[in-house]
Amino acid sequence: MQFSYEVKDSYAEVKGVGRLNMVAAPKLREVVAEVVAGGSSRVVVNLAETDFMDSSGLGALIGCLKAARQAGGDLRIAGVQPQVKMVLELTNMDRVLTAYPSAEEAFGND
Amino acid sequence: MSSATVQRRAVVIEDDDDIRGLLAVVLRQLDFDVVEAADGLSGVESVRETQPELVTLDVNMPGIDGIEACRRLREFSDAYIVMLSARTAELDRLAGLDTGADDYLTKPFSPKELQARVRALFRRSRPAPAPAEDQRVSDENTRAAAVQQSLLPGEKLRLQEFDVAGAFRPTRSVGGDFYDWYQTPDGMHLTFADAMGKGMGAALIAATVRAVMRSVADSPDIADAFASASTTITSDLDQSGSFVTMFHARLDSASGRLSYIDAGHGLALHVPAAGPARRLVSAGPPVGILEDQQWAAADLQLEPGDSLVIVSDGVLDAHDSLEAFMHNVEKAARGGGTSEDVCAALLELAPAATAEDDVTAVVVRRTASTTTDGALLH
Repeated sequence: MQFSYEVKDSYAEVKGVGRLNMVAAPKLREVVAEVVAGGSSRVVVNLAETDFMDSSGLGALIGCLKAARQAGGDLRIAGVQPQVKMVLELTNMDRVLTAYPSAEEAFGND
Repeated sequence: MSSATVQRRAVVIEDDDDIRGLLAVVLRQLDFDVVEAADGLSGVESVRETQPELVTLDVNMPGIDGIEACRRLREFSDAYIVMLSARTAELDRLAGLDTGADDYLTKPFSPKELQARVRALFRRSRPAPAPAEDQRVSDENTRAAAVQQSLLPGEKLRLQEFDVAGAFRPTRSVGGDFYDWYQTPDGMHLTFADAMGKGMGAALIAATVRAVMRSVADSPDIADAFASASTTITSDLDQSGSFVTMFHARLDSASGRLSYIDAGHGLALHVPAAGPARRLVSAGPPVGILEDQQWAAADLQLEPGDSLVIVSDGVLDAHDSLEAFMHNVEKAARGGGTSEDVCAALLELAPAATAEDDVTAVVVRRTASTTTDGALLH
């Protein structure tokens, strides 16, 4: 899985392309840690091109959420695809990780 | 830890800067994590530190040469060793000696040839350790698997009218799935959990969860018991950044009433004798994510012929949609046989060859009534 990120005015956007599984999970943690360490604690993970996520991937998102909140910010997700949405709903994590239609809208109101 | 099980490592020992750089590039293309060393002694040290699966070794180097370096490496390393030399005649001679190397290559080499040789080496089976995994990781996985296995209930339940079974198939990298049950005066308590993560870390979290859940068994109310247990588990998990999905239930076997709490698991199904299967909806997120989280308990009535089926996400991941998953789980549950047979059928839904995760299933089936001498009542 490939990750890239872009620091915008009021948040940083992390994009992941592929399957967010056991192999990709540590990479996501690294990328978000780098973004947060660089001073952007408001992070949007854009999942528009992430077509699969397992519990390891979900764990990485939770870890990243904790890291962002500890740095005084937040982590939100955008562009959630059907399988990822299903995992979030089954685990009730949709209440903790708020999904937005697009990265722009994730921090749109604050 | 999880990356160590998938990332192969290589050490390149070569005194020529250009050739060393080229070897590193070629091996990285094969997804090796590459460490470079410019002479024999530092190369041996690098191998000791990184425990690679592959070493390339130049024969002619200042200090200790490739032959001596190879001899030292073989005292502690099982890595595949490829020796390189510019002199064909020398390689022919070396190949005839027992140097401990696995293959020999002439310089200048073509990158494609080196890659082909390396692939061929890794296709050959080596008894132990597994070539893509170093000894340390495979030892740890063996211990983690033993921990995970030890968490499964040893005792057979003796419940009138109920047939309870569980099955578990670990992956090579060991996840955090487990289930546990024990008999109580009224029936039984059941816990089905999946700790996020792999290896010893996940296995130890699973062991903690099991112990904590057993410690609240005497609390008369399931919601109180779960609230107390989850507070303890959450504070333990805070250190590790992990979380646990859980399904916990208490069965009153005389009435068939089951009280349960689902914390982010979401993969428990009620398959009634008559009528469609229904997924038991989760009452909240997994344990370990938020402090002060509450989970509401719910009740389920199990009638004769009904089953409660709980599987791990390894089964869900093998399906394209929740509908397909529900369909197949229900079909397996209605397939007949004992609860043990149904568990076996459920594991088959996530074929071992493709499953990335542990696969676990528990089935609680209420059978027909029996009289004291065991004859079936109809």
